[in-house]
Amino acid sequence: MTDATDITRQTLAALGVSTAADLAPHFAAVRAEFERDAATITDDATWKSLRDLWMGRKSGVLTRITDNWLKPSPPELKRVVGQELNQLRAHVEQRLDALQQTLAAAAESQTLARDRVDLSLPSVQRPLGSPHLLRQTFAEIERIFLSLGFRVVEGPEIETPYYNFEALNIPEHHPARDTMDTFYLAMPPGAEPRLLRTHTSPVQVHTMESQQPPVRIIVPGKVYRRDNPDATHSYAFHQVEGLAVDTDVTFCEFKGTVEHFVREFLGPTIKTRLRPSYFPFTEPSVEVDASCFACGGSGCRLCKNSGWIELFGAGMVDPAVYGFVNYDPERVSGYAFGLGVDRLSQLKYGIDDVQLFFQNDVRFLRQFS
Amino acid sequence: MKVLYQWLAEFVDLTLTPEELRDRLSAAGIAIEALADTPAGPLLDAELTINRPDCLGHYGFAREVAALERRLLRPIKLAPEPRATAGAPSDLSARVEIDSPELCGRYTARIVKGVKVQPSPPWLRQRLEALGQASINNIVDATNYVMLELGQPLHAFDLARVVDRRIVVRRARAGEKMRTLDGLERVLSPEMCVIADAAHAVAIAGVMGGAESEISSATQDVLLESAWFEPISIRRTSKHLNLRTEASVRFERGADPEMADAASRRCAALLVELAGGEILPGAVDLYPGHREPERLALSRAGFLRVMGADVPDGEIEAILNALGFLPLRLELTAHELTVALTANIGATPEFARHSRAVWACTQPSWRQDVTREVDLIEEVARHFGLDKFPPRLHGSRQPAARLPHAEAEDRLRGRLIGLGYHEIVSIPLVNAEEDALFRPSDVIDPAVITNPLAADASLLRSTGLVSMAHALAWNINRGQRNVRLFEIGRAYSMPDGAPLERRIITMGATGLAREKGVAESAREYEFADLKGDLDQIGQLAGGFTWREIERSSWQHAAQAGRVSLPNAGTRRIDLPDGNRVVRTVGTNVVGEAGKLAQRVADQFKLRQDVFLAEFDLDRFYSDYQQARATRRYQPISRFPAVERDFALVLSDGTTFAAVREAIQSAGIPEIAAIEAVDLYRGKQMPPGKFSLLVRVTFQSQHATLTEAQVNDFSARILEKLAQQLDASLRTS
Repeated sequence: MTDATDITRQTLAALGVSTAADLAPHFAAVRAEFERDAATITDDATWKSLRDLWMGRKSGVLTRITDNWLKPSPPELKRVVGQELNQLRAHVEQRLDALQQTLAAAAESQTLARDRVDLSLPSVQRPLGSPHLLRQTFAEIERIFLSLGFRVVEGPEIETPYYNFEALNIPEHHPARDTMDTFYLAMPPGAEPRLLRTHTSPVQVHTMESQQPPVRIIVPGKVYRRDNPDATHSYAFHQVEGLAVDTDVTFCEFKGTVEHFVREFLGPTIKTRLRPSYFPFTEPSVEVDASCFACGGSGCRLCKNSGWIELFGAGMVDPAVYGFVNYDPERVSGYAFGLGVDRLSQLKYGIDDVQLFFQNDVRFLRQFS
Repeated sequence: MKVLYQWLAEFVDLTLTPEELRDRLSAAGIAIEALADTPAGPLLDAELTINRPDCLGHYGFAREVAALERRLLRPIKLAPEPRATAGAPSDLSARVEIDSPELCGRYTARIVKGVKVQPSPPWLRQRLEALGQASINNIVDATNYVMLELGQPLHAFDLARVVDRRIVVRRARAGEKMRTLDGLERVLSPEMCVIADAAHAVAIAGVMGGAESEISSATQDVLLESAWFEPISIRRTSKHLNLRTEASVRFERGADPEMADAASRRCAALLVELAGGEILPGAVDLYPGHREPERLALSRAGFLRVMGADVPDGEIEAILNALGFLPLRLELTAHELTVALTANIGATPEFARHSRAVWACTQPSWRQDVTREVDLIEEVARHFGLDKFPPRLHGSRQPAARLPHAEAEDRLRGRLIGLGYHEIVSIPLVNAEEDALFRPSDVIDPAVITNPLAADASLLRSTGLVSMAHALAWNINRGQRNVRLFEIGRAYSMPDGAPLERRIITMGATGLAREKGVAESAREYEFADLKGDLDQIGQLAGGFTWREIERSSWQHAAQAGRVSLPNAGTRRIDLPDGNRVVRTVGTNVVGEAGKLAQRVADQFKLRQDVFLAEFDLDRFYSDYQQARATRRYQPISRFPAVERDFALVLSDGTTFAAVREAIQSAGIPEIAAIEAVDLYRGKQMPPGKFSLLVRVTFQSQHATLTEAQVNDFSARILEKLAQQLDASLRTS
């Protein structure tokens, strides 16, 4: 490193030191030399050379001072040289330790800088699937009506005309059949005719045939209409039918139930409006409208500036229906509704084409995971 | 039905603006779809429900408007009938006959003589055009105008073209032909009603007139028909001929039979006003369908029972009056009330005190849809305002219940989603040929649609695989090549004419099992992935057992399997003595899995490997219940497990199942697991041999196993493997 420590290669006598006062400048020079060397330390390698140069057991500067200055010094100087040497040694050790720590800290921060994760990089993910949006809507509707004490039941999709129409007060040649174009199934000669149910309402009849009131059921399922597919029609869609029949079921309860459903499904601020309508199996019949959740009722494109959105049809069960299931229309009353699951999902999530539900494009499906 | 605001004003004092009218009518059940401005004034476009033919004319519509404010409708003004004078033409009545009174309940005919056929005046054209009706000439326009005004369809014949001036209302003859006003020749059948002259049919009753007797510029004398035809017959005829007209729509929903003559008089007077001429005395009015009006009653008790809240007497009476039901209030005697209420379990004393009132009503001829008390209840409720009824929630008397399999389905769906599968929903109408590619061997009679709209949707699928293949193809064709899908749905068939709907789950996967990322390399989805996913699902129901497929159908011959469940092939039967037996019913195979055969993949233009699986859900759900009911805690050993690897050299064709069986045959209860961890086929192996690395885990519930014990186990295992499979340990 340096030759300034050359003085340590000579004895004190050779340096002309005879008193303690003469000694101090020499130790000061050596310490200054050490400081100069220490200032040049940049990494582990230079630190190690410095340590070896000064602390090396055989030929380190401190060893040389011991050998050349301390050992041969006259007794009157020995104590002072020893004190000076110890101070120097303590200083060198302390400085080297501190330097080592500084180097380690620098090295660590360098490592951290290199190993730091890039939080903007994609994570490692196990691929997750998703439930179909229609299934999520089914589940939501079920949850709401289960909380009101309804029971979930299912029924067949292949039905007889009796259950799909007649028992629901839609005789043959009733104009209501025009709104429910129907797929029929090929049957062997002599077999009862069969069709694909056009609504989940036949399960009302099956249920009332098999039990006495009180009845409170909802019926989720697939239904079929013979409509050419477009953005608002498809061969099949989904409904949740509801039916409540008991000795004390009134229009007021029907209204309370429907309002509760709409608030739970669309939000607490949504208002409900019942508009008189007509269905063969309910009397009085209504269309249930919700205040437009897009504009809050002030009028927009979604609600065609009316402030209201038509949700589903419903009403009090027509007494004629009770006649088909041997319920006494003088004793019981009830209500029924038919929720369009596809339509409700479209409205709630802003889906403008019903076909998206059935194309099953993963770019669509993933959006609802 | 389009309605002109100013036309309504001719029948009712209008205090409401068109906008107010729209809102009020909608709230009362007459939905107004749109408001528009026309040269004839504001127009309301009403979407009428099919039970309200009485609103298919401005007059009837105005009654609803009047009822909104509990007003009465102005009567129609009719000119006095001409009286017969000496030398007047003779009575027509002898010349009109109704042969089929079951199809024609009323027939009126008037003759207007000496008309001048010409264009209609502007006021008339303006109204017709505003309502979307083309103006033709003053005679035809007059009939249309009166139809739009009073809801009663009318027809004008050129009297000169009616042979013998004779009208016969009869059924059409089989194969009888007639050219209608639209120029088409129609083939008729006996279920249809026609208006005929002495020679042949001149009109299809209630649907459309004939070209032969059409009003022309040469017409001088007009025979005006105003009739009532039976709705179902009109509907059948209209459907059969695929011919819907303004007239047929009104007749098939039910016209007002009492209106027929009034409309005829109104129209005849209008004809004279527009075309000159004179109305001949002696109009014909045959009315075989005449009947006395129905008597109806509305009781307050009935109203409360259905609606659950009250409406004041005055409102009930004002509404029923405005709608023409002529209500008459009666008080029931205490006895009558008791009789009326015994049926009503929910009746309270307070309820009874208020519920003595009954209104005797008369059914107006224009409201054939109102026949029962509940219909009157609806009339009162909708005009009173449904918004005025308070909402209530019931106290449930029964527990709620989900579907019996709901929990199993939730678990299944949750597990599939965790495994990366997206749920799909498809329409189960499919192409018959495509369905046949996948059809399960036990489906002999698929469910065929007789009236499909497209060949691609002519069959109810016999398996979900066909829908799944389409869903995968849809995605791959749109650049989505790494896809995993499942569908919980149904499969359909029609064995011997009895419909069968099975619950199924279908799975489909294609592309990469793992995509390339910063931290991972890519890997293709393989059969082992499908098998793994199925096994993880199968655990929910006691675990799938795999078997080879005897004859592959849609599957790749080398990469396919069948799965069975432990209990799926059994049925528990409760005997009358309280015991329970378990019977085996057929097979316990519940489904199949495999790579799609190239031949089938080509049909769907699938240009990458596709893996499919389907299994029966009813049996899965029942095994799920079984597995859940019998699941018990197994103690976890406190002692360490020891693993031993065996690098076996085996003959080609030796299955892992055989290896496992051989190991198990050593009868060592401490064997906790047998796994295959590596498979090697290659040059370093002797011909006909391959190497399988098998890891056996030993563990005891009672003690730490010693080296000597494990060595002994290993030796016994190797002995069995050598004996049974000629297996040796790999040396290198």
